[in-house]
Amino acid sequence: MATTALTPAASAYRSGLYEWLTTTDHKKIGILYVVNSFIFFFLAGILALLVRSELAQPGIQFLQDEHVYNQLFTMHGTVMIFLFIIPMLVGFGNYVVPLQLGAPDMAFPRINALSFWMLPLAGILLFLGFIAGGAAAAGWTSYAPLSEDRLGGLASSGPGQDLWIMGLTLIGTSSILGGINFLVTIFKMRAPGLTMFRLPILVWTVLVTSILQVLATPVLTSALIMLFIDRNYGGHFFDPSTGGSAIMWQNIFWFYSHPAVYIMVLPAMGMISEILPVFSRKPLFGYKAFVFATAGIGALGFSVWAHHMFTTGQVFLPFFSLMTFLIAVPTGVKMFNWIFTLWRGKLTFSTPLLFALGFLSMFLIGGINGAFSAAVPVDFALQDTYWVVAHLHYVLFGGSVFGVFAGVYYWFPKMTGRMLNEALGKLQFVLIFVGFNLTFFPMHQLGLAGMPRRIADYASNVGWNELNLLATIGGFTIALSMIPFLWNVAISLRNGQIAGDDPWEANTLEWATSSPPPPYNFDHLPEIRSERPLFDVRHGRTKPAAVMPDPGPAPQPTH
Amino acid sequence: MSTSPGTRPSSGSILAALIAIIVFVGLAVVVVANGPQIVRSFFPPEPETAEGHAIFDLYTIVFVIAAIIFFLVEGLIVWTVIRYRRRPGDDELPPQTHGHNFAEVVWTVIPTIIVLFLFVISWQTLNTVEATAATPDLKVRAVAGQFQWSFEYLAPEAGALDKPLFTVNVPTGDDGGLTLPAGKTTHLYLYSPDVIHAFYVPQFLFKRDVVPFADATRNQFDLKLDADTAGQTFRGQCAELCGTGHRIMVFEVHSLDPAKFQAWWEQKLAEAAATPTPPPSGGAGGPVIDLTAQAVKFDKSALEAQANQPFTIHFDNKDQGTPHDVDILDANGAKVFDGQVFQGPAVQDYGVKPLGPGSYKFECSVHPTLMFGTLTVQ
Repeated sequence: MATTALTPAASAYRSGLYEWLTTTDHKKIGILYVVNSFIFFFLAGILALLVRSELAQPGIQFLQDEHVYNQLFTMHGTVMIFLFIIPMLVGFGNYVVPLQLGAPDMAFPRINALSFWMLPLAGILLFLGFIAGGAAAAGWTSYAPLSEDRLGGLASSGPGQDLWIMGLTLIGTSSILGGINFLVTIFKMRAPGLTMFRLPILVWTVLVTSILQVLATPVLTSALIMLFIDRNYGGHFFDPSTGGSAIMWQNIFWFYSHPAVYIMVLPAMGMISEILPVFSRKPLFGYKAFVFATAGIGALGFSVWAHHMFTTGQVFLPFFSLMTFLIAVPTGVKMFNWIFTLWRGKLTFSTPLLFALGFLSMFLIGGINGAFSAAVPVDFALQDTYWVVAHLHYVLFGGSVFGVFAGVYYWFPKMTGRMLNEALGKLQFVLIFVGFNLTFFPMHQLGLAGMPRRIADYASNVGWNELNLLATIGGFTIALSMIPFLWNVAISLRNGQIAGDDPWEANTLEWATSSPPPPYNFDHLPEIRSERPLFDVRHGRTKPAAVMPDPGPAPQPTH
Repeated sequence: MSTSPGTRPSSGSILAALIAIIVFVGLAVVVVANGPQIVRSFFPPEPETAEGHAIFDLYTIVFVIAAIIFFLVEGLIVWTVIRYRRRPGDDELPPQTHGHNFAEVVWTVIPTIIVLFLFVISWQTLNTVEATAATPDLKVRAVAGQFQWSFEYLAPEAGALDKPLFTVNVPTGDDGGLTLPAGKTTHLYLYSPDVIHAFYVPQFLFKRDVVPFADATRNQFDLKLDADTAGQTFRGQCAELCGTGHRIMVFEVHSLDPAKFQAWWEQKLAEAAATPTPPPSGGAGGPVIDLTAQAVKFDKSALEAQANQPFTIHFDNKDQGTPHDVDILDANGAKVFDGQVFQGPAVQDYGVKPLGPGSYKFECSVHPTLMFGTLTVQ
């Protein structure tokens, strides 16, 4: 702990709950993000299990009111994307990025706290729909004019859709503020010697993600406000019966929501780019190529939105087809960079590496099956079928969720000072890997066979029964895999092995301080001469722990 | 984390390897035993239209390239992971390779060439699929409303919004659905009076969104059924979420031999000429019961009528472009009254013959899962 006398504000510190509710410490806020995201992950997972249970067999089993079914998948998608994946990755960024920069905190700690606290509020708004006459039910994409509700309650009766709009607007605001905060932090608060091309890859991916957030999210917000005006004040932006355009909603929505796919996967790529080098004891292969590929994905990501709209017949197909094919190239570059990081390495199969390998092998499938839809005529066959459901889950679950768990196992020791149990971790990995493939692989075949998305039931004579049952079994296997995970967290918090500063022999600055780090993060920083400062110290290439110039009083919350 | 750097693997890892081998062998046996079906399940259904054949061929090329890439890269991952595992007690640092410019250029350029190739062939196929004939053999307008398809047959010179010669209001069954001549080119206009739907037939490998437009002329495409499909029926379904009844928006496409189609066509024209559209009004007299359909719901869930006395149901269908009717079923599910289906907005009076006392069910035969109620006769 710091030895200098702290400012009087320290006496205002109160223990426990009050401290968590009022904290502006990026590490505590990061943990709040992670815990909050996991809560919504489990809630949205329960919604998915209800959907899968209904689809296990043909016939309507227990969701007699099909309007409820539409609410379930709408809220599943919305919550998973906006309240789990995006904030979860922001949470890791929040915890890790300032540490990796050698900074004491984010640039704007109080804006950071504000960004976080908007999320639980937004989540409450979204879920309020269920008790206020029906949650949003027009799909997470809320296509107009279905979401406009002109026709008296066919899609989104009750205030659910309005609550959805308000919730997403809050989340969007949180995202914009967070993006600006990260950009300023990364550009202005790097430790001496930490040049842009010595930044850890995670920081680079968070940087590109933040640019996407700042540029794209206001566009979504504008669409949401237009939809709100349409619904409540008689606007006609998206209402074709009065001269509006239904397609305009899709253009604006996807102009945000396609870059959002990269918001949802780039930081996860960054996380496994931290993990693969550590557990193969090699540097990341092709650092600069990786950085350029990340920037390339971010740039191209703005020119592919209309590939979600090929079947509308209202977009210039060849351009968006070409761009969609091209974006596969930087993604492929990354794949080879990762594989050749492992190549000739010495791999230690700890749980973080297992999840990172799960990311590699599953995200590969999510990339390849995406290329099918880039071929426009093939997309005519696949669009809006279960193939698309398979594709997006191979990207967002096989990619992002595996990345998230890799990150949890990797940074848990830093966050808590204790290791997670390896045996339980491996058990969870096997269960989730098997369950994931059982759930989502058969959806390729279901989609090819013609099963559309978003239907509560299907005929029993069209050959979809077995594959649906398999997917449902897989879904419950994924749910089962959460038991060893939660058990692991519970016992490790109390009795886990003490981690020490650097349990993994890692490379980046967060491992140069204690676990968990003190509120001001660093007493001393090592010399930084490459993208792996701790590796350099460990192998005698640089001096350890050069004493930092006196930073003045540590930042304290000012009340 | 290896606490005992022994030379022999732990019993746990042996068990894990055994389980993995058993699972792998089991999977391999299943795959080999069902090889052809499994391979087939990775392809779309056998195409039944000219456009479908072009898409199927493109799919096959994309699939083969994708499969090769998948096995090469996934194999590389698996091989790397097995080959370069850290042996217990090995503390030596592996070579610290930071990159290799030539390799990185190669794995940027080769994927670029592959995707450009895929782009060019898919563009060519797109032009084939999107091509429209100057003089199609038939023009049909498929109308998709919540939650019902109807098919309006147009005169050869008709535009997207012209009045149909006749309309098929029922989307499935022998008398309903989209009936088309095999081996001929049909030009389909799509029209939606409410939200976005999508016309999708899996065996055509094709779908097109039915986007509601102020001018309603922009969703159209050509469809040419194979000549050898005559006599077959294909299942179609709405593929874009359109509300609570999305799943029930199914339809059938019947392919007829051109001669039979001609006969069917003439019969339909004759029927349309014989029954002028205005429905009989006035009904059978007796007390009048009001019933309104709006937003694919009845405004009442319970009706009452007097036993053994005729009555009239004054039925107001307020749903623009959506057909409804009222049927009455007895306790055994037998239809005791069959109202005529008609599109809204319109009003019709149904004259119902006397019914015996008891409890009946009334429903809309087009939307039986969404629109129903109880009729008590006493």
